[in-house]
Amino acid sequence: MTSIYLLTLRQLSGRWRLLIIALVSALPPLVAVMALYSSSALSVDAFETAVLGTLLAGAAAPLVVLAIAAAALGNEVEDRTLANLTLTPVPRWRIVAAKLLASITVAGPFIAASAFLTAWVAFLGDATAALAVTVAAVVGVALYAAAFLWLGLVSSYAIGAGLLYIVLWEGFLSGFVSGVRLLSIRHYSIAVMHALDPRRFAAGPHVAPSAAVLISALVFAGFIMLTVRRLRRMDVP
Amino acid sequence: MGAEPIIRLDGVSRWYGSVVAVSDVSFDIRPGITGLLGPNGAGKSTLLRMMNGLAATSTGTITMFGEPVRDNPPLYRRIGVMAEHETVYDFMTGREFVLMMARLRQVARPAEAADRAIELVDLADAQHRRMGTYSRGMRQRMRLAATLVHEPEVLMLDEPLNGADPRQRVHFQQLLHRLAEGGTTIVLSSHILEEVEQLAGTVLLIVNGKLAASGGFRAIRAALDQRPYHVRVVSDAPRRLAAAVLGLESVEAVTVDPDGAIVILSRNVRDLQVELPRLAQSSRIGLRRVEPLDDSLESVFGYLVER
Repeated sequence: MTSIYLLTLRQLSGRWRLLIIALVSALPPLVAVMALYSSSALSVDAFETAVLGTLLAGAAAPLVVLAIAAAALGNEVEDRTLANLTLTPVPRWRIVAAKLLASITVAGPFIAASAFLTAWVAFLGDATAALAVTVAAVVGVALYAAAFLWLGLVSSYAIGAGLLYIVLWEGFLSGFVSGVRLLSIRHYSIAVMHALDPRRFAAGPHVAPSAAVLISALVFAGFIMLTVRRLRRMDVP
Repeated sequence: MGAEPIIRLDGVSRWYGSVVAVSDVSFDIRPGITGLLGPNGAGKSTLLRMMNGLAATSTGTITMFGEPVRDNPPLYRRIGVMAEHETVYDFMTGREFVLMMARLRQVARPAEAADRAIELVDLADAQHRRMGTYSRGMRQRMRLAATLVHEPEVLMLDEPLNGADPRQRVHFQQLLHRLAEGGTTIVLSSHILEEVEQLAGTVLLIVNGKLAASGGFRAIRAALDQRPYHVRVVSDAPRRLAAAVLGLESVEAVTVDPDGAIVILSRNVRDLQVELPRLAQSSRIGLRRVEPLDDSLESVFGYLVER
């Protein structure tokens, strides 16, 4: 598993890829700085909704993770190198676990740093707030990574499909359709933020924290199982 | 039939939508070198991919050492597979690649195994270069090293000599013969008759997704040599040449085309190659062009299927 993990780290650490995700990750803290020094200051509620909920958890995190996790298995399929891994005695779940862990390892620090800086700036050095936002963002990274890892394996149009999902599902529908919020990674992140620091989204998240934790675990495990199942049943190119 | 089969295919078919790639194929593979021979698109790669578990069968079963090959990772401790595609990671050095494959296949001493395998393919000098800088032949050899690093009991090679220069071919052939003598069961695919002739003791002829013939190479070669050939000849005096060639032992029939060329039907094209120029010289007829009309592999294989 270590070999596949290290291989994937190298595959995902291309200069251009890292540069792009660094730029995307820089957006939330930049907006936080701008909001802080803007003449028409945002209310805390408005900042949390626009920057933490929408920009960080609903846009930057999924975009960064999409660029990483969809490529982790998707590029192996496209480059026809996946057979190097599947023609070995390594159980399929270990291949998936290594790919997932490597995706989180690459994407996680960018989003964690982005979340920490955003909250640190916006909440004027409040460590509890910064920590809550960071942990919630990392939970989001893990969930998005599981989903996009699967997407990269099942679709050769993973990036396009992922973008549609981010814009339509996470960005648009989950904003006003209450049923969709129950199946929205963005809203799980918001619920975790609230659970760790009740001052965040103080009016109450749309998904109860306990439900968010439970559903997050199910979503995470579900996508891993789907990916393993697909890897076992697919024709490897 | 001697030794127990290592691989057994029973009624194997595979189709993609309405396209049938492999149709109801059954055979056993025993120790030694077995060649899957057939023209491009005959279904050899699909068969090989099903035999190593990369692709599923639509119907039928495939077993290796009595176990199903599909979704059976532990079996890959005993199998080495080299696909046709150049499936390498360009950013890795050759040694890194072979070492990684040794680790993935749970070899006890991966570094030593990698050294041994790289030495075997004669690439020790280039092992620390990135594979992206390798020639096609070098990549093939390094991929072979990665395939051999765990000393598999069964080796499956899809068009292994693609991209190899003559020296590399000889080296490769010697290596495969050595491995086979050491007890490795080798299955390789090729669309080149001579390649299989030099390597394989047993040939499975695949045409249009079906097993057209199987057995020793000599039997298949003899069948190929007996097929009728059509040879088109453009000359100064087609009618005079047509009359003259009818007297040759190697000629069965002659027709004169409307464009003035003659078409000779022969079952002994080797003799015809010698007799025709002599005849033309003695009859003072100038030969402008001599070309076989049906010497493509497809027509050769097609002949065997129709017999």
